[in-house]
Amino acid sequence: MGEDASISFGIRMLAGEMSAWGHFGQSIGEVESNPQRINKILIRGINTAYARAIANANRKAEFKTFAPSLAAVNLARIDVCKDTVNAVFDENPRDVSLKDILTLCTKISGDMHDVSKDVQYTYIDVHTIVNRELFCSTEGACIDQSYALTQGKVSVVAQKAGGIPEVCYDYVGDLRGWEVLKGKNAYKQSFGDFALLRTRETLELTEAEFLQATNEPVVVVTNPHFNTLLVHEIVGHPTEADRVLKLETAYAGRSWLFRDFNDNELGKQIASPLLTAYSDPSANGYGHYKYDMEGTPGKRVNLIENGILKGFMNGREYAAILNHSPNGSMRATEPHYVPIVRMTNTVFANGNRPPEEIISEVKEGYYIVNHRIPSISESRENFRISAQKVYKIENGQVTKLYRRGGITADSKDFLMSIDAVGNDFEVFPIPNCGKGQPMQVMRVGNGSPTLRSRARLTGH
Amino acid sequence: MVNVEELRNCVRNGIDFVKRQKDVIDAEVFASWNEHITVRLNYTSDIPCNGVHEPKSTQFSGIGLLVIFKAGKEIKIGFGSVSNNITPKGIKEAFQKAKRNKVYDPDFKSLPVPTGKPILENYHDNAVMEISDAAIVDLGWQGLKGAITEYNQKRFNKSIIVGGDVTIIKERMAIASTKGIDNFDESSILTTNITSMIEKERVKGTGWNISTHLSGFNPEEAGCESAESAIKTMGGERISSGTYNVVFGRQPVTDLFTNIVIPALSLSSLNASDTPFLGKLGRKIASELLTVYDDGSIRGAIGSKKISCEGIPTGRTELIHNGFLVGFLANNYLSKKLENIFASFIPRNGFRYYNGGRSHNIQPKICPTNIVIESKEEIPAQSLLSKINDGIYIGRIWYTYPINGLAAGDFTSTIIADSYLVKGGKIDKPLKPNTVRINNNIVDILNNIIAVSKEKKQTTVWGGEEVVIAPEIAVQNVKLDNISGFIS
Repeated sequence: MGEDASISFGIRMLAGEMSAWGHFGQSIGEVESNPQRINKILIRGINTAYARAIANANRKAEFKTFAPSLAAVNLARIDVCKDTVNAVFDENPRDVSLKDILTLCTKISGDMHDVSKDVQYTYIDVHTIVNRELFCSTEGACIDQSYALTQGKVSVVAQKAGGIPEVCYDYVGDLRGWEVLKGKNAYKQSFGDFALLRTRETLELTEAEFLQATNEPVVVVTNPHFNTLLVHEIVGHPTEADRVLKLETAYAGRSWLFRDFNDNELGKQIASPLLTAYSDPSANGYGHYKYDMEGTPGKRVNLIENGILKGFMNGREYAAILNHSPNGSMRATEPHYVPIVRMTNTVFANGNRPPEEIISEVKEGYYIVNHRIPSISESRENFRISAQKVYKIENGQVTKLYRRGGITADSKDFLMSIDAVGNDFEVFPIPNCGKGQPMQVMRVGNGSPTLRSRARLTGH
Repeated sequence: MVNVEELRNCVRNGIDFVKRQKDVIDAEVFASWNEHITVRLNYTSDIPCNGVHEPKSTQFSGIGLLVIFKAGKEIKIGFGSVSNNITPKGIKEAFQKAKRNKVYDPDFKSLPVPTGKPILENYHDNAVMEISDAAIVDLGWQGLKGAITEYNQKRFNKSIIVGGDVTIIKERMAIASTKGIDNFDESSILTTNITSMIEKERVKGTGWNISTHLSGFNPEEAGCESAESAIKTMGGERISSGTYNVVFGRQPVTDLFTNIVIPALSLSSLNASDTPFLGKLGRKIASELLTVYDDGSIRGAIGSKKISCEGIPTGRTELIHNGFLVGFLANNYLSKKLENIFASFIPRNGFRYYNGGRSHNIQPKICPTNIVIESKEEIPAQSLLSKINDGIYIGRIWYTYPINGLAAGDFTSTIIADSYLVKGGKIDKPLKPNTVRINNNIVDILNNIIAVSKEKKQTTVWGGEEVVIAPEIAVQNVKLDNISGFIS
């Protein structure tokens, strides 16, 4: 348990005749937040970033004959903004006492254990914060942006005597105040009720059969919570411009959507005409903001329109290389890190079919409920994602429950096979998206309505 | 930069201060300074690029104070930290936070007590601690030079990608407690991991180099190795889905241990009932050919430390011995909480790794150091191929996750580079990258090990905290699925 404040800064510098990047970041203490002391630390940081940028630019120029594609950094032009954005909340995180947070956590944990003696382990993590980011550039930008964030994480392990443990973890969260845990969230229920729901579901799963994998694709109806991770992995990540331009080749991977400037999927059909996907930082959700960390206003990016690939999320440098408009998708988890392209609220758009109707049309298939863990291939061309629950669908009815199941498919096959899109769109928080070197664990919003497609089942 | 003496004075003064405060039963003061430098590489022959994309660093220092307070008949535990301030005023501030944050914790037993003498002393490199910005940048360009030179010499200059990084970690810490712990540590780590591709040929190669000292560090060699490996895997073929005998190279062994095996051998997983090894202590969980231990005291290994972030000397913790589960990684908190439930484990692995250093603002979690994989019957790496006769050599995997939760043991991963078909005990043709997904259970993998190589190399993977001193391992009956048919 703790109540604390932290401050850090990052200096990102472009310098040199053949301009190159240099960076320095540091966490600082509250004692240094007065103007005189912070000025001294910032100047030291600027000098370090400058020395690195100059050394880098000089070496780049020396290497140019040896490696002709080396180029000076070019940033796409943006409107230089000066703005203040205030945090939005009903109940100020700063007014929530540690005692209240502790009481909530211990009560929920106790309530979860009280559900059944088979609950072996519970873990509750709650935090509520206000974050303030200042961005200034030599171009004249000056942006003061604040947001509130409140999140509850629940983890539960249930096990029947002599049985195999079943584990579940999930999050409630939004960029708002304490009201998030009282019910102003995607689940429209209090954090306590959400924790009990996940506890009962986990207990139910301890008695379910393991799902058997299939060798051939079957009809699958995937619910919005499951699709939240699906859109994140097979649409969000491969439409990040730094992956597209190969910068993540050694780490998080490339994108099957872009081999090179002459061979790519832009303007081509990569999904069913029923499917549209976009990324929108102006929408509510964990990926909400007004300006990114290059000072670019965050804009909605239409990624897939009626199945056609339309664009990528980008930053200024990548927009210039691709000759696209900058759309403000550069973020760092903390100011002392370098911003990279991150998803915002990246979603499959809402459709017009009631989910019950989508299920009722399935003679034989499976209902895939709530995401669990993903594993995606390097360029995002294939995925395996596990689900919390899988139900059999027989003659339009949801019947038997299975545990430890999921689906696997080639991304394009799955997207092209979608034949129904629900009208039950919802955005959920994804608080732990890892990318970059050093790894930055970012909060993003993802969402979707119910979808129906075809995939192979995976099991235990 | 803060030196070790300043950190030692800080923690000693901190203990003197805390001892004078009302209702304090015990306390532990931790102070650290860290710098994590990354020189990120991105060369694309057909796209305008920076070569060395950015030299960058984060620096952080401060105090973390854990205090045990008397509260009536109970005890309460409080943790407080301050950043970038190791003065007496910082101590006072951290103490006030600890006091404000204190809470009753029925699972807390006591702070660590001094045990044994550290094996490692003075194992860092001053040349790393004082490296200049120009020299940092140059290390990145050396890595790039190694890869591009190799490609150019072999007449490949189009569709080339070179990525990865050079990483330098400088760590200094000191710790003192009312239980008598008073020690410090200073370490330097250098790593480079380089991935390069001839993209139109759909081939990718990996090279890496690791050292604690600048004199033994060679990014150029890693770059060259990545290009050589990519070129060797040109003309790769697909395989059909099925069950194969395989040899896992050092990177896949490291990936499997970092993401699946070692997390399952941590007391934190045991505490949460989230490990496939629950109730298996003392029982056979793997082939008798497998022995695994954690050893943070190996000189020259980059996971080595003199002491843990709880002040305990590092050393060897047996985990699996000849296939039997004999131990778990532990910190002080969980070791004491669980000693009457499972067994007593020496808490050598309480570390505060965060943001690429030993962070003052978190409490110790359980982290591996150097994971050593051995066998009682090690054989030359080349002989592993004859052990499987026909099968697959897997050189690099990616995105390895316990897909149904750690307790289930199920994992999946894709083969992305450096891999070959094996025929008649010899390397035959390259395997086409990104066309095979591994779907298996880790318990089956561990039990199906048929040989372990004598040769080992320090290996790390993206996002991993530990180094694995990794052999190559032959495993039978591994399920591989042919994927991504639409790409071809």
